[in-house]
This record gives sequence, structure tokens and C-alpha cells, in this order.
Amino acid sequence: MSHPIKGEHLYKKFKKQVVLDDVSLTLNEGEIYGLIGPSGAGKTTLVRILLGLEKADSGDVELFEQRPTLDAFRSLGYMAQSDALYNELTAYQNLEFFASIQGLHGNRKRQRIMEVAESVGLEKEMKKGVAQFSGGMRRRLSLAAALIHEPRLYLLDEPTVGLDPLIRRDIWTLFRFLRSKGATMIVTTHVMDEVAKCDRVGLLSDGHLIAEGAPKELTERYGVATVEDVFLVKEGAAK
Amino acid sequence: MSNLFAMARRIIRQILRDRRTLALLIMAPLLILTLVWFIFGAKTSEPNLAVINAQSSDFASAFPTSQYTRMSPLEAHQALADKKIDAYVDLSTPVNVHLEGSDPSRNGLAMNRIQKSMQKVQQINVTKMSNQLKSIIQTQQKAIQGQQQVMKKMMAALHLYAPGTLAQIQKQAPKQTRPAAMQTPEKVSLDLSYLHGNNSLNTFDAFGPAMVGIFVFLFIFMIGGVSFLRERTTGTLDRLMASPIKNYQIIWGYMIGFGLFVIVQSFILTCYLVYVLNIYNVGSLFDVLMIVFILSFSALSLSILLSTAAKNELQMFQFIPLVIVPQVFLSGLFPIDTLPKWVQVIGDLMPIHYSTEALRNIMIRGTGFAGWWLDGLVLVLFSVVFITINIIAIRRSRPLA
Ligand SMILES: Nc1ncnc2c1ncn2[C@@H]1O[C@H](COP(=O)(O)OP(=O)(O)OP(=O)(O)O)[C@@H](O)[C@H]1O
Ligand SMILES: [Mg+2]
Repeated sequence: MSHPIKGEHLYKKFKKQVVLDDVSLTLNEGEIYGLIGPSGAGKTTLVRILLGLEKADSGDVELFEQRPTLDAFRSLGYMAQSDALYNELTAYQNLEFFASIQGLHGNRKRQRIMEVAESVGLEKEMKKGVAQFSGGMRRRLSLAAALIHEPRLYLLDEPTVGLDPLIRRDIWTLFRFLRSKGATMIVTTHVMDEVAKCDRVGLLSDGHLIAEGAPKELTERYGVATVEDVFLVKEGAAK
Repeated sequence: MSNLFAMARRIIRQILRDRRTLALLIMAPLLILTLVWFIFGAKTSEPNLAVINAQSSDFASAFPTSQYTRMSPLEAHQALADKKIDAYVDLSTPVNVHLEGSDPSRNGLAMNRIQKSMQKVQQINVTKMSNQLKSIIQTQQKAIQGQQQVMKKMMAALHLYAPGTLAQIQKQAPKQTRPAAMQTPEKVSLDLSYLHGNNSLNTFDAFGPAMVGIFVFLFIFMIGGVSFLRERTTGTLDRLMASPIKNYQIIWGYMIGFGLFVIVQSFILTCYLVYVLNIYNVGSLFDVLMIVFILSFSALSLSILLSTAAKNELQMFQFIPLVIVPQVFLSGLFPIDTLPKWVQVIGDLMPIHYSTEALRNIMIRGTGFAGWWLDGLVLVLFSVVFITINIIAIRRSRPLA
């Protein structure tokens, strides 16, 4: 089995604050990995370091089992915690731009734009300016932009925040569909019912990866009802 | 390559869909230049002047009533205090001038006019003196004529009574020489000739080249800088960084995308200046266009560079007093030859300095390509340096790949 992402002994400090303290994390091909943890735990920082947008103070990152190169970004879809869209443009123009810089063109590009728009339920809003989008619509468009070039690896930072339960369910259906086609995914989230849908979860607290494993396995190992209770057990143990 | 054009196309679309920015980019420089044109381009205004004690003076004709109001000393004093007049001339001897004095430019206007009148006063003096001389000469001539009459009579008497003595006297008399005809001195006046420009060149014509540089630079700087800053603050730059686009493609994409609007803006601005505002221009329109265009690129690349150091729009605008204002003062709008050496060196580092020099050469001195290629080259070098630093700086946002 190959490992699309491998981060080893990552350590990161912002000024005096230690944000990641010796975090190692490996993704198996074809799994959905959920990264959960309280706000400020370092989830976004970890994802950005895995992507190469931020440099770890020490530790190594491998993408697709080699040192990251520009080429790795061709097979990688990133969705930031902020929406990162061009407000002056229409939804279509946004997707068109992101498709172009990923090397899509012509009919294939147009076809992909319609496909991803449909998969996030925005196919009727494509002509609208993004400035007129609601928060949830922006979130979905941002997700669509990460899907456009059919990457093999997804790094999604809170993809479902601010979405209603129905759309959230559709999006998780989409994630499972992508997985069935061989994609690997790392998703950060706050929503606990999403945790159960992940193949494996990692619990990040204060820059430490305190537990890792399949949700079922974790609740059994710590003898608790839900994964979030693991945080309580761990914190209790620390005190 | 296609990434580059995707970048450029996106920027063009962004600007086209943002009408306000488009208007700011294209219309604002026109509006401001028109304003400047009204301020500096108007024919210089007339000073308000008065004379007192004119009736009793010989010089009154040097101060025509069309230019100098006749006033009594008291009126003049009051009018000066009320700023109704800029100065009054007291024609008692010696002639003296009283200036209002609070506005140097009005002082200058008034003194200019009064000095012209004073030249006439000199002329009047000279004619008066020559008239006096003439009348002295005339009376003397009359006296001489009278004496000659007497002499003739004496000669006749001598001829009659002592012809020998007469012959003796005539022999000893000095040969008569005709007096040289008096030459009137040539009229002294100043003939002006201009190597460049002509006497209708007004302040706007002289300021114009610098103004064009300043406003083109200012607006491109603001719009380009903020647009790249947004890329950073909205997170779209991160998204670009997580895609296979190359660093140079991002920067050059910006250059090309904005470049299109810069071409349009330069063209409209230059045509407006030359054909609508009728700025003095003996050079070719193409040369002017080239300089405006090259300058815009250095403004754009500099603004992208500085946006790296800004966290938000406000911080971007804080660069304006640092980057634009010194350029206004050191760009050649005001003479800088007398400033300390180190200030001049700073001036040499400013893009607008070169565009002003080049535009003056083109528009006023009409020196053509030979007059601007060096300045143009320096501006291109500025852009190349800024762009290179930009490409290196953006590498920091993608530390791994
Ligand atoms: N650029 C930065 N400079 C300084 N500190 C930073 C920076 N980015 C993140 N931090 C700090 O690092 C810590 C972790 O931030 P991070 O964004 O990774 O948290 P998170 O787990 O994603 O939180 P959330 O769930 O709220 O998104 C926070 O305390 C934050 O203040
Ligand atoms: Mg986060």
C-alpha cells in the first residue's frame, strides 16, 4: 500500500508558541482521514505544512512518497479554511480560472466545470457573481475548485463548516464516491457526526497527536461512547 | 505558457467586472490632470495696480490708466490694506513702490509689470535729457550765428581799412573742419530667442511631463498593489501556491493582465493631454506613449513588491506618503540642483525622475529617441529588478517546492 502523505516528526513554532510538537502522520491510499481537535490545536497549520505552504521548523514531509515538487500539485486538491475565491468574478469564471491553471482546457474543461458544479449543487448559480454568494455557497464553490482537476489526494480544511445538514450529507456522499474511485483525503472538522464517517481519525490537541485510529477502534480502546470523549479521557489522564 | 495567459485573462476579467477600479484607472488621471491644467495652464492673471501723485509727474505716460488705477494716496493705502490692489506706485520723486506682499506669486506679477513701466520711465528720462541737450545746442548755435554775423561785419571793415592784416589773419587761421554729424545711438532693446519651447509655454506645459508621471504612477501603484495584496489576504495566493503554476507565471501574469489596461490608459491619457488639453508637444505621440507605458510597468512591479510587506489595504496606502510624495518633490517638478548631494542621489533612485526627464526631452526639447532611450532603459531596468525580487519573494510562500 502506498502512502500519499507522510509527515514525520513535524515541529512548528510561531514566535514563542509551539503549535506542532513532534507530529507524525501517514495517510494510506484510498482512505478518508479525519483530523479533529479543538480550535487552535494546530489543524490548519499541520495541513499547510503537509502541503508545503508553510515550512516546518524540523521534520520531513513526503507527498506521493517523494520530496514535494511542483508536479505533486497536479494530483492534489487543496481547500483552505478561508474561501479563497475571486469576488469580482462569477462562479463560472472562478472555476474556469482554477481549471486553467491546473492544465485543463477546451471541452474537457467545460465538462469538468459543469460536473463539479453539479456535485456541489451550484449548477444553477454559475453565472452569479461570487460577491453575491451566501457563505455556504462560497464554501461549496471553494470545494468545487479543489475538485476540478480530479486529484488523487485531497486536503480539505473544514470543508463543511457553515453548511446545512442536507448539503453536508450530500458532500459526504461525494467524498465516499471519490474514495471509491481511489482518492485519498484528509479532512479537518469540528462536527462529531462526520468523525464516524472517516476511515481513520487523528486527535490533535495542543500540537500533539494524542490518539489515532478508526473511530470504532478508538471508542473501544478508551471505553467511551463517542470519539470526542477520548479528548476528555486523555486530558483527565494528563492532569 | 497557458498558465500565464490564464492568469492574465483572469486579471483582465476582474478589472473589467469591477467598474469602479476601471474608472479609477482610466478616468481619475484624466480628471486630475484637467484640474491641474486649469490651475497651472490658465494664462497668468493680471496684477491689480494703482499709481498716486500721477498728475504732477512727467512719468504718468509710463503708467497707462488701463493698467494702473489713478488713486489718491489715502485711497491707495486703504486699497492695499484691503488687498484690492497688489501694489501702488508713488510717482513723487524719487518714484517708490508699495507692495501688499503676502503672496509671493502676486508680488512677482506686480513687480514684473512695474519693472516694465520703470523701463518706460527711463526712456522718458532719456528723451527729456536729449531734449534739454538739443535746446542747449540750439541756443549755442544761435549765439555762434550772432558772432559770425559780427565777424563778417568785422571782416568787411578790415577788408576796407586794413587788407594786409586780413590776409595775415586768414593765413594763420586754423583750417575749418566740418563737425562730424551727430549719430543717434541705436535703439537698445532685447530680442528673445528660445532654443526650446516659445514664449507661450505656460506652467502646465512645463509641469505636464512630471504630472503625467506622478498620476500614472500613483493610480497604477494603488490598484496594482491592492489587487495583489487581496490575492494574499483572501487566500487565493495560497491556492495558487498549491497548484502547479510557476512563480514567474504569477508575476508575469499580473504584468500582462494589467499591461493591457496600462496600454489603454497610457493611450487615452496621452491623447487627452496632447489633443484636448493641448499641452506643448513637439515630439512624437508614440515616444510619449512609450515612456508612460514603461513607467506604468515600474509602478506596477514596485507596487506588487511593496504589497508583500503590507498586511491589509490600509498598510498598502501607507506606502503612498513614503513612495509617491518624495517622488513628487524630487521628480523634477521643482529644481533640485541646489539640494544636498544625498538628496539628489535619492532622487536618482526614483522612477518618476526618469520619466519626467524623458518626457521633457520628448515634448519640449523635441529630441526624439536619442533624448529618451537612456531614461527609458533605466525605467525598464527598474521594472526588471522589481519583477525579479517579486519572483524571489513569492518563493517564500512556497518553501518546499
Ligand atoms: N501565521 C501565524 N502566525 C502566528 N501564529 C499562528 C499563525 N498561524 C497560526 N498560528 C497560531 O497557531 C495555533 C494553531 O492555529 P491553527 O490555525 O493551526 O489552528 P486550528 O486547529 O486550525 O484552529 P481552528 O479549528 O480554529 O481552525 C493558533 O494558536 C494560532 O494562533
Ligand atoms: Mg483551522
